[in-house]
Amino acid sequence: MSERIVTVVPEAGLHARPAAKFVETVNEHEADVRVAPADGDDDLVAAGSMIAITSLGVESGDGVRIVAEGEDAHEALDALETVLTTPEDELTNA
Amino acid sequence: MNDRTLAGTGATPRAGVGTVVWYRPDAELEEPPEDGVDEDEELGRFAEARSVAREELERERERTAERVGDEEAAVFDAHVQFLDDPQIEDGVEAAIEDGLPAEHAVERAFADPIEQFEGMEGRMSERADDLRDVRDRLVRLLTDGERTDLSTLPDGTVVLAERLTPSDTAQLDPERIAGFATATGERTSHAAIFARSLALPAVVGVGGELNEIGDGTTVVVDGDDGEVVVNPDSERRAATADGREADVRHDPVATEDGTEIDVAANVGRPAELDAAKSQGADGVGLFRTEFLFLDRDAPPIEDEQYEAITEALAAFPDGRVVVRTLDVGGDKQIPYLDQPEEENPFLGERGIRRSLGPDEDPFETQLRALLRAGAAEGGDLAVMFPLVATVGELDAALERVESVAADLADEGVEHAVPELGVMIETPGAVFAAEELAERVDFLSIGTNDLAQYVMAAARENGRVADLHDPLHPPVLRAIETSVEAAHANDAWIGMCGEMAGNPNLTEVLVGLGLDELSMSAVTIPDVKANVSKTTREAARALADRVLAAETKETVTELVEEP
Repeated sequence: MSERIVTVVPEAGLHARPAAKFVETVNEHEADVRVAPADGDDDLVAAGSMIAITSLGVESGDGVRIVAEGEDAHEALDALETVLTTPEDELTNA
Repeated sequence: MNDRTLAGTGATPRAGVGTVVWYRPDAELEEPPEDGVDEDEELGRFAEARSVAREELERERERTAERVGDEEAAVFDAHVQFLDDPQIEDGVEAAIEDGLPAEHAVERAFADPIEQFEGMEGRMSERADDLRDVRDRLVRLLTDGERTDLSTLPDGTVVLAERLTPSDTAQLDPERIAGFATATGERTSHAAIFARSLALPAVVGVGGELNEIGDGTTVVVDGDDGEVVVNPDSERRAATADGREADVRHDPVATEDGTEIDVAANVGRPAELDAAKSQGADGVGLFRTEFLFLDRDAPPIEDEQYEAITEALAAFPDGRVVVRTLDVGGDKQIPYLDQPEEENPFLGERGIRRSLGPDEDPFETQLRALLRAGAAEGGDLAVMFPLVATVGELDAALERVESVAADLADEGVEHAVPELGVMIETPGAVFAAEELAERVDFLSIGTNDLAQYVMAAARENGRVADLHDPLHPPVLRAIETSVEAAHANDAWIGMCGEMAGNPNLTEVLVGLGLDELSMSAVTIPDVKANVSKTTREAARALADRVLAAETKETVTELVEEP
């Protein structure tokens, strides 16, 4: 199991397009990924659920804790960190 | 023999025959069985519905990307994401394990997330609508179309419904459906106006008896006589299939003694331009711009509006296109424009009031597009402001036009200030008609709102439908006052409400002095025919008798005299 804490850069926070891109990225990897706000003691939620991650209320500048388990755990964490640290206007669908 | 005939209000002079499909968007699911369900079977049904839903969404995404654009198509990606969301999947599975059928399980699994998104701020709250869409799609697939999908009806369908909202009618494919009938509604209801703009057979206000007609029944919808015929006999069917097509005249018309009357079309979306042309419209007397603002997340950009307007100008190279600036408020809501809930929306912030207030930025963008279009090829552009009640509002709007023209000149952008006009829809505008007409090139009477405000009777309220009628003498006198004020100030005057499209009233309207009549495309041939059958003198004599009448009943008798 690997985990990492990332500060969210996109202005929209973990909502709208960044959230959609985040979910998409989770689903591209062979890993069980869960997230929670970095501070506080909220339970981890399934990172592949748009509904669940949006409900966390993570805004731009907040930290999130990402936990990944499985074959692609490291690659998944790297890719997700990229999503969360890329300003929204640079996010592409590529 | 026909089985039975139900009477309502005809919305279009057209009749159609077809097979009934009921549209019941609010249908409640039946109670779930008390003795539980076969879990595996229900899980299988859910999986099947989900895979069909995914295919549908994929197709709709492609179609939207082609027709509208990638940005608009992106909403379908969000829908697929919700469809595959593990939280939804877990919720549905848990509910099925609790003994619910798949459709009930879907409703339960979506309930919390919908509530959660509804509670969020700004644009995230719109995601609740996306979730509802996905839920409704799944429930429809699971209940075998108890909730009908209006966009995929078979050819020759007659849609029956309690009522049809703008978002309902937007889904109907006029090429395919044979017509519709609604239990509620009047001639001026949204659904009736929609039907006229597309020459679609329709009867509204049939009443509760409509519910007794079952799915799959053959009916004739006769918008001419205002009736729905259940299981029509072969004679009636044949008569309907032949249809009644009026002779279309593509040239401008005049009275026998040479008074030319512009007969133009009301257009609510670009697709209606073709119908307008094919029915012989001389131009467009009311080009509504709201369609540009609907079904999207942000106001349209200047170029998009410019293109839509120039498309209309190109469709009528020898005519005139009168564009009404954005008219929201009242019953027309656009989510991203942040309209407050008002206790009396029709007496609240709508029309020009919003354009000079909270919507001043979209208004400026629209004026830029309009002034640029003023210099474009094609027909003559005219622009009018809705719901003006004071001279001050008009002055403010004209100032905006001037300042936009100055900006465009500074930027070196090609433009021209089009003909400018005011809509006469409020008693305030009638009493100030002289001063308004002095300042502009034309007036245009919107009789639906004018009747509503003069008679203090809401358009959609059936209990006061009798009052909401432009044939009441106070409304006719308001029209007379407006026409005189226009002509005394060298302005022309048109009428773009439903009244203008009633062929029985053509003669009296010509007599009142209207220079232009603008209506739903389907009534243009009849109105053109009636213009050319009268003379200026005979029409004026009729108008004088009508203006002298004390009651609506007398007026009705006068205009219906052969």
